[in-house]
Amino acid sequence: MPTVRIRAAAEYPDAVRKMFELSSQWFGYDFTEPPAMSRVMAWDPDFGSPHGRAMKRAMGPGEFTRAEEEMVAAVVSGTNACSY
Amino acid sequence: MTPDALWYEAAFVTGITNALNVTADALADLLPPLDDATAGADAVAVFAEIRAFHGGQVPAPFGALAHDPAYLAEVWKAWRHAFADRRLTRRLKTALAFAVSLTTRSRFGTGFHLAELRRLGVGERGTMEIIGVTQMFSSYTKIADTLQLESDMGAIAPVDPTPAPGH
Repeated sequence: MPTVRIRAAAEYPDAVRKMFELSSQWFGYDFTEPPAMSRVMAWDPDFGSPHGRAMKRAMGPGEFTRAEEEMVAAVVSGTNACSY
Repeated sequence: MTPDALWYEAAFVTGITNALNVTADALADLLPPLDDATAGADAVAVFAEIRAFHGGQVPAPFGALAHDPAYLAEVWKAWRHAFADRRLTRRLKTALAFAVSLTTRSRFGTGFHLAELRRLGVGERGTMEIIGVTQMFSSYTKIADTLQLESDMGAIAPVDPTPAPGH
């Protein structure tokens, strides 16, 4: 059970909901409801936006492919024992 | 190539990386590594294989394991198999090992796998990509844990229906 109530996308203002469209584009998946992490990051766009841009810069075109970087992300998450 | 096979390879790299890191970081001052001059013939033969695989180096933890040559030989076989080019490239496996070492704050592993990444041709941009992904997902995971978020993205990946190897 989450510590906080994760707000539905519809509860966010229009400007912030654009972040959810970017999230769907990033994952290439049409979510019924944006992932909980996307909605958490949307709570404070002054944190979530630069955090998301840093993530996308790290995972953007470079020496490793997006798929390779996703595997690095999964391994880091597993090492941190994070089930999310 | 099956999708699950890729993840098994990644998991084995993660595990054996952590195994060597804990040996290196915990025992560095307690169990001095043996070398060609101090180890027995069996261990020296393993050292030669390690050098051939790792650009002429024998990472210190393997030297520590040489106090039990039979154990060293088995750990080395598992390590070499885990890091070999198979479905995942050795370059990617080394990147995974670097990320695991950073995440677990292993001084040995971070330095060793960074040197290996460079030896395998990864440049500064690639290194920063791995550092960035490691940092950002160390952040996401702690945010998720702090808020006790429940996984809600498992459905975006298809399940691999293929049987276990050999069946």
